[in-house]
Amino acid sequence: MKSIGFVPNRLAKAVFVVLGVIVLNFLLIHLAPGDPASVMAGEAGAGDEQFLAQLRQQFGLDQPLYTQVWLYLKGVVQLDLGFSYRNNVPVAELILDRLPATLLLTGSAFVFSLLLGVALGVMAAARRGRIADSAIMTGALLFYATPLFWVSLMAILVFSIQLNWVPPFGMESVGAGLTGFARIVDIAHHLVLPVVTLGLFFTAVYTRITRASMLEVSSLEFVKTAKAKGVPPGQITRRHVLRNALLPVFTFAGIQAGQLLGGAVLTETVFAWPGIGRLMFDALLQRDYPVLLGVFLVTAVMVVLVNLATDMLYRFVDPRIEVNA
Amino acid sequence: MKSFSRRYMRNKGAVVGIAIVVLVMLVALLAGALFPSNPWNAVAEPLLDPFTDPAYPLGTDMLGRDIAAGLAYGARVSLLVGVVSTLVATLIGISIGALAGYYGGRVDDLLMRLTEFFQTIPTLAMAVVLVAIFQPSITSIVGAIALVSWPPVARLVRGEFLSLRSREFVQAAVVIGLRPSRIIFTQILPNTMSPIIVTASLMIATAILTESALSFLGLGDRNMMSWGFMIGAARTMLRESWWMSFMPGVAILLTVLAVNLIGEGLNDALNPHLRSRGGL
Amino acid sequence: MKLTKRNLLAGLTVATAGMLMAHAPLSAFAQDKPVAGGTLNMLMQPEPPTLMLGLNQQGPTQFAASKIYQSLLTYSKDLKPIPSLAKSWSISPDGLTYTFVLHKGVKWHDGKPFSAADVVFSADKFLREVHPRMRALMTQRVESVVADGEDKVVFKLKQPFSPFIYAFEVSTMPIVPKHIYEGTDYRNNPANNTPIGTGPFMLKEWKRGSHIHLVKNPAYFKPGLPYLDEIYLRVVPDAASRAVAYERGIVDVLRGGDVENFEVRRLQKLTDTSVTMAGWEMFSPVMFLQMNLRRQPFDNKVVRQAVMHAMDRNFILKNIFFNVGKPATGPIASTTLYYDKNVPSYEFDMAKAKKMLADAGVKPGNYTIKLMPLPYGAVWDRLSEYTKQQLEQLGFKVTIDAADAGGYSKKVSDWDFDITMNFLYQYADPAIGVSRTYISSNIIKGTPFANNHGYSNAQVDRLFDAAPVALNPDVRQKMYSELQRLIVDDVAVGNLLELQFATLYRNKVHNLVTTGIGLNETLDTVWIAK
Repeated sequence: MKSIGFVPNRLAKAVFVVLGVIVLNFLLIHLAPGDPASVMAGEAGAGDEQFLAQLRQQFGLDQPLYTQVWLYLKGVVQLDLGFSYRNNVPVAELILDRLPATLLLTGSAFVFSLLLGVALGVMAAARRGRIADSAIMTGALLFYATPLFWVSLMAILVFSIQLNWVPPFGMESVGAGLTGFARIVDIAHHLVLPVVTLGLFFTAVYTRITRASMLEVSSLEFVKTAKAKGVPPGQITRRHVLRNALLPVFTFAGIQAGQLLGGAVLTETVFAWPGIGRLMFDALLQRDYPVLLGVFLVTAVMVVLVNLATDMLYRFVDPRIEVNA
Repeated sequence: MKSFSRRYMRNKGAVVGIAIVVLVMLVALLAGALFPSNPWNAVAEPLLDPFTDPAYPLGTDMLGRDIAAGLAYGARVSLLVGVVSTLVATLIGISIGALAGYYGGRVDDLLMRLTEFFQTIPTLAMAVVLVAIFQPSITSIVGAIALVSWPPVARLVRGEFLSLRSREFVQAAVVIGLRPSRIIFTQILPNTMSPIIVTASLMIATAILTESALSFLGLGDRNMMSWGFMIGAARTMLRESWWMSFMPGVAILLTVLAVNLIGEGLNDALNPHLRSRGGL
Repeated sequence: MKLTKRNLLAGLTVATAGMLMAHAPLSAFAQDKPVAGGTLNMLMQPEPPTLMLGLNQQGPTQFAASKIYQSLLTYSKDLKPIPSLAKSWSISPDGLTYTFVLHKGVKWHDGKPFSAADVVFSADKFLREVHPRMRALMTQRVESVVADGEDKVVFKLKQPFSPFIYAFEVSTMPIVPKHIYEGTDYRNNPANNTPIGTGPFMLKEWKRGSHIHLVKNPAYFKPGLPYLDEIYLRVVPDAASRAVAYERGIVDVLRGGDVENFEVRRLQKLTDTSVTMAGWEMFSPVMFLQMNLRRQPFDNKVVRQAVMHAMDRNFILKNIFFNVGKPATGPIASTTLYYDKNVPSYEFDMAKAKKMLADAGVKPGNYTIKLMPLPYGAVWDRLSEYTKQQLEQLGFKVTIDAADAGGYSKKVSDWDFDITMNFLYQYADPAIGVSRTYISSNIIKGTPFANNHGYSNAQVDRLFDAAPVALNPDVRQKMYSELQRLIVDDVAVGNLLELQFATLYRNKVHNLVTTGIGLNETLDTVWIAK
């Protein structure tokens, strides 16, 4: 009965969270020294009072802060995220343009790390105590400790520059005019290094959780019962252990969604991937407030939705669990 | 204590971890003695290859700075930032988690909303924003990392407090009339220390990674030579002088690895009942 | 690092080519005739905020949009004016009237005809409103600008101003279409996203974060031009990746600033690659240390002079700029007009510097200096680290106070710094690009490229006022020579290096750098050999 009120309840709370994110970030960003007008003047190598004043007026920066917040929120409700100071295009357009690249990158990294991590974890659990187990767990430890930006650079050096197996950067070969399947292959080719390097850390995490979870579930009563009853081991693993063991993995995966987006900033920077992570970083340096806020807003919404989905999935899979709404 | 150390030592990885961390700490402490001049000073020909000049075993960078000196002084920054930011984050997390877990009800609701809220924002992105806003310095970096890292501690502490709150010894303390602060500090908190310590030690590893990422992105403190900074500075020379990026990266990798191993060792030693099932 | 077959081959090839070139220069340069067609791939770093050159003159905008827009003139490598939209011009003997005769038959990209009215509108209305440098010029120097028929424009000045002929460069005075902008809100005009110019290329597509695609303007007014069919400007945020892009043939040109200078050293050895330092003569930036004269210890001239003796320009050039550049002897670059090489400058002498401080009774240990690096890349980080080291050797305590672009801009604009560094384009005539750093009237708050350090010298002000209006070029030279001496002696700023920028390009690309603005040209005569 509680689950009927669950979704609207959570959604309402989600809206509050998102609003809070906006207001907080709005205030934070305006605390940064300098403003977009002075940045643009700086880069133009010139600028006088009038020029700066014109820009500030155009950006609405000469109004009091609470007015600016209010205007922004009003816009957001109408799905108008404002205009980028620097790029002269609507923020929504800019973000929609770059979002798919990030989703592709993080989505692929997510799937890759989940599949590989679970596979490795299951293998390690099955061969517990043997060499394969130690090897996998050591590898996981190493991946867990590796700085992302560094391993990305090393990977480019080895696999792209030295071995020439994959392109070193970018999402696709520009000017090649590829369409259809050829284009998909081209993008996939460019996706390899970023996805693998971004996914390494999370692969390690999932490997370890899966292994631990598998071992924990295997030692539970119902599994011992199944073994005693003579159910074939393969079937035990698949039907009983795996399904139950994967629950904590999925919960963790849901929580990691936000972290994945954060990691995208580094990956997008090193690989020149045209996504919103890099957009956010550039906007920050350029004090392009609308873009920055827009990116945070979109990110917050996505994280909240993923959390919501994970919670619902969790409740659905195991109705005994009461998720603290 | 004796059984704790015995349990800890049984985990070979944890022992290796301690060895590495001790080594790193030694290097950090002795950096001044081993490399008396400022690591920022040019001491030799720029871009000396490593292993060619015994005076500069790891070579020099593009301004003629000793890379080995940079690594040694960088150890200080990484350890300092890692430990201090984790300390601050833990304090914040304990405060919030304890209050939420002890008082429950509306206080809990409010504080958990706050925690959830902070957890919605991707940690690295937020850290970048905070450091950029308050302009890069060791203080802003430590502060930024602390501000984005506390939520898991708060959740953990809250969970522990919620379960311990209803235990008999706590009820007894309430009945006697002890002030809540006394109860929290003297009764409940000491019993939550083991998971907190484990979490904190793992957080140190993450903090070191975050600091190096910030330095790499150009948001580090320019007055402190750090490993992340060295990788960032060497990035443009990746092709020509790849060792300049490679070595600090290995330093980060080993240190973070070691800290993680210690964290796990602590986990095993403090929670022996989980060990038999092959823990994490 | 390693002696590979490739290095060896490359080395031999360079040596052989060198010998061939020494012996048979004419045959080596016997070029085929220009070939029409082809795609030129270049980089743009960083991505420009907009292509509407009238509204935005940041470096990347200048580079990308100068294929779309044009001005009346352009300038040769020795800074002589060359026709562009104007086919000829004349200056009255009293130096007050500038008459330009424009080409006929020029069309805007939307098909409408270009005329003198567009020039008048651009200078008098549009740019005066939105372009800081033009605003200053129009307000202070220009009496009137009128169209004389469809193809003549006449500028009348308030007094003779010899640098005026240099104002007709595309980033200073881009000509914009009157029929699109007149009477509109310039900054919010929807045409800003589909820039309409007279240039040889038009915007086909702009995929932000990825590339800009320009295509040939079939109605370009010069017959047979442009040779190229299209130009791609690619975004690659990472410097190391940009070098790789060139090596793998993804781009055929590396502009100055696209890759680090030491990469230039490596890349120029490739067999199919040429390098040139030309194409920046109009801009000729001089890089300087900017010491805030309002703050101790920089209010003391002796301290400033000592700092200059403590900086080893040759070390900086060799190890930070990788030999791309030239030590500066003063505020005016050797490629800018009125440069005087006989100005005594400060030789590197740390002992002398320390002695100067001691003799003047300055105790450096009493001062903690905050050094703010220019936030535009690794080179400036290295320079600030070097400067810190040198100042510390003098005995000062120094901390690096880093800021990002926004923070830097604000601090400099608000005069909130001890010492920083900067470089400015000189624009051929010192009256345009150099004076702004030294004249008292430019001590204004609120903008980062004024006289933020607070230098004020009445004699300097007088000379900068008088020189551009003097009709006799010898008189002008005398005044500028005097100015150089004064500024160097006062150390108004610490001029360190003339920045140079190497352009790397594949040998099959011809006519890439032909004028003093190099790659900021329209590129209408560029062709690619098959």
